[in-house]
Amino acid sequence: MAALTLWWMLHAWRTPETLAGTSFGAADGLCGLGFSLLVPARHEQQVLEHTVKRLLESSHTDYEILVIVGHDDPLTAAVAARMAEYAPGRVRVITDTHEVKNKPKALNTALPHCRGEVVGVFDAEDQVHPELLGHVDHAFRASGAAVVQGGVQLINFHSSWYSLRNCLEYFFWFRSRLHLHASQGFIPLGGNTVFVRTEVLRAAGGWDQNCLAEDCDLGVRLSSRGAKVVVAYDSSMVTREETPDTLLGLLKQRTRWNQGFLQVYRKKEWQRLPSLRQRLLARWTLTTPFLQAFSGVVIPIDLLLALTVKLPVSVALFSFVPAVPALATFAFEAVALHDFGLQYGLRVRPWHYVKLIAGGPLYQVVLAGAALRAVWREHRGDHGWELTRHVGAHLG
Amino acid sequence: MTALLGTASRAPITPPEIRPPLLKRPLRSLRRLGPDGWLALAVTAAVLAVQAWNITGFPTVSDDEGTYLAQAWAVQHHHGLAPYTYWYDHPPLGWMQLAVLSWLPGLLASPAHVFTAELRVAMLPVTAASALLLHLLARRLGLPRWSAALAVLLFGLSPLAVGLQRELFLDNFAVLWILAAFVLAASPRKHLWHHVAAGLCAGVAVLSKETVAVLLPAVVLLLWQHCDRTTRKFSLVGFGTALALVGLGYPLYAAIKGELIPGPGHVSLLGGLLFQLQRAGSGSVLTPGSGSRQVLDSWLYYDRVLIVGGLAVTPPLLCSRRLRAPALAVLLLAAVLLRPGAGYLPAMYVIQALPFLALALAGAAQHGVRLALHGLPRVGLRPVRWAVVALAAVLAAGWTVPRWYAGDRTALTARANAPYDAAARWIRANVPDPAHTRITVDDALWLDLVRDGFAPGTGVIWFYKVDLDPAVARTLPQGWRSLDYIVSTPALRQDPNDLPTVRAALAHSTVLASFGDSAADRIEVRRIAKDAQP
Repeated sequence: MAALTLWWMLHAWRTPETLAGTSFGAADGLCGLGFSLLVPARHEQQVLEHTVKRLLESSHTDYEILVIVGHDDPLTAAVAARMAEYAPGRVRVITDTHEVKNKPKALNTALPHCRGEVVGVFDAEDQVHPELLGHVDHAFRASGAAVVQGGVQLINFHSSWYSLRNCLEYFFWFRSRLHLHASQGFIPLGGNTVFVRTEVLRAAGGWDQNCLAEDCDLGVRLSSRGAKVVVAYDSSMVTREETPDTLLGLLKQRTRWNQGFLQVYRKKEWQRLPSLRQRLLARWTLTTPFLQAFSGVVIPIDLLLALTVKLPVSVALFSFVPAVPALATFAFEAVALHDFGLQYGLRVRPWHYVKLIAGGPLYQVVLAGAALRAVWREHRGDHGWELTRHVGAHLG
Repeated sequence: MTALLGTASRAPITPPEIRPPLLKRPLRSLRRLGPDGWLALAVTAAVLAVQAWNITGFPTVSDDEGTYLAQAWAVQHHHGLAPYTYWYDHPPLGWMQLAVLSWLPGLLASPAHVFTAELRVAMLPVTAASALLLHLLARRLGLPRWSAALAVLLFGLSPLAVGLQRELFLDNFAVLWILAAFVLAASPRKHLWHHVAAGLCAGVAVLSKETVAVLLPAVVLLLWQHCDRTTRKFSLVGFGTALALVGLGYPLYAAIKGELIPGPGHVSLLGGLLFQLQRAGSGSVLTPGSGSRQVLDSWLYYDRVLIVGGLAVTPPLLCSRRLRAPALAVLLLAAVLLRPGAGYLPAMYVIQALPFLALALAGAAQHGVRLALHGLPRVGLRPVRWAVVALAAVLAAGWTVPRWYAGDRTALTARANAPYDAAARWIRANVPDPAHTRITVDDALWLDLVRDGFAPGTGVIWFYKVDLDPAVARTLPQGWRSLDYIVSTPALRQDPNDLPTVRAALAHSTVLASFGDSAADRIEVRRIAKDAQP
């Protein structure tokens, strides 16, 4: 399992051509498509203005911004209204009146109002590059794709031991693994910096309002309908984000993702993927968190057995085989951290490598804990959103 | 920059594939072989033909061959890594591969020859694979076809190579794997997993014979040269990680057995390593008459072309970017040979240098031809240029062919193992109750007697274990009187001073049968006179 994961996470660096192929092509400066950019915002009055202003700096000429606010969130709604006045015609406000709110409901509310040929999704705290739309536009036209997934990167690797690993996880995922998924024709899409042709999105019925990983679900549904997806990563144009600010926040976020993956798995939409290879990849990807949880439980038992039970030498030697890909993973993570530092102009110090390696097993424990918690919540039928600490209370 | 990666959307509907009949497939793949493949196969076949002919007759079976074969036998028969206590003299991967390869020829071996010589057939696939890899490496280094083929012929037909590559030596396995590492490091696709595989192969090479580790810097240089700037970091780390993880298997094995560091009552990896490092040196090759010099002279006796020619062309080849890695390989091996206070120099050390010497010569030949044909643009006379090339080729052939012809003729006709063959046959026919007889022999004969029914380990005993292995000595309560027979061979007579029991057994025994003409080669089957006075 570790070997397969390693194989995939290093996908982009397999050959120089693969690595070059993961980037955006040079944009041609034409604005061929119209964009409707959806920005669902909830109790995010502090960051929303900055995000919208940044979006307004876009070099593209044909786009509109739809800020989606809740009817019970006057502070955010006030900021949104101010932005609509600031850029009339560019920014519109959509009010979501659902009693219980979540992100897919907000997005679905805005979908009928979209005028552009392409719908793009951003989070309210995203830092979006002004050139992004132009490149995405070009990507759509050059490839004839139905979906373009742009890169998202957590940046604050120095904040805590787990943020370091969290950043690297994103690095491997968007820099490398997603490209493999795109080339295989099965892709769990990310939650933002994702662009879908409006007609394709409407034909697919928008987002699943009951799924905790609506982005992944949308990717699976579009994949199984044969939609062409391209992924493009460029360190200068990724959408920059921050890790959850506490370990508990991370645990909750992971629980939600895992539960969402489990829901997508149980919807069996992936079984409609055309090839066996795609179905195997889908099954593997959607269940990985739970295999991880399983190994999290088994490894300590293994270690205990290895240290206490007397085994024949050959068996004992064989029992170390799983350690090989694990150790190799550490080595590749260290190189990736170096690469990450170079690409984003961040100073990676020797201490960070130590933190990376030492934090590895601990991080696995957190991930395994989140997976187990997800299974537990799903088993109890607890589908409530645990977005972040301050919104969770409202939604419960 | 290529644009974007796209998904393979829904697979287009295609008519069901009409599968070609199975028989046609090999033909198709043969056709796909191309001129490169055919040429590689042809020169490899030539090498194999020369190496296979009379493989049991020449050279004389050596003690080392017998040792490795017996250890392979122990692995095959689940006796552990060696028939006696495995003491970490070499990493075991070499004879584990021999155990795999000797299985089939072992079943087919005839009793006409000593078993060790019969099993040399197992080395032919190793030589074949090495030759093919060398051809591929030469091509990947940018040599033209004729030059790559020349490298394989130099590598496989030198009388030195014919003799050494036939023998059951760990170095031959190490060469195979290190060549694979070179080939993978020069992957034209610059594929990360090829580079990881190169690390794996280099690790297997080192665990086949530890001395090949000297060549690792050359592999790394080649890898560096053939990596793309954007993915180099990942490739180098992949290579190093794979190499380290394979290599760590060895100390891990020792640690699991509690034999990592020396301690009372057990052997250890560190102890074995220290023994190899502190082994009595055989002097400097620069000192006339030293052991190392004798080894060097024996190499030069069999072939000067590869060694002198290869070494001579190596320094200028360092200036050629493409051939810098193999040139560095030659220099590294030479540097170890010439290092001050040179340690022990085994006779088979040169095996590791053969492919790189051959590559250096072939590369130099290619450079020379190019210089003659295309150098000096103002001298435009084509016939003169070709005449220069032809003259050089004739001179080189004139220097090489007669010597090689004589050397290879010996390899194809000599019956150097006749005394061993006869001794093995004689013991089989004349020792009445092998299961209850104790006989001490050299390692080359050991497996024959095991096959004849002597008890492995304590019934038929490696002669030096009689004195050096406490576990064996315990089974000989009356010293030399506990033995029934001793077979005196050149290897056994070589250094009896450290082996008092063996010396006493020789002194208190009478010759039953003697084989071989010269005193130096003679093999004597001797019965111990148990009632003799000490």
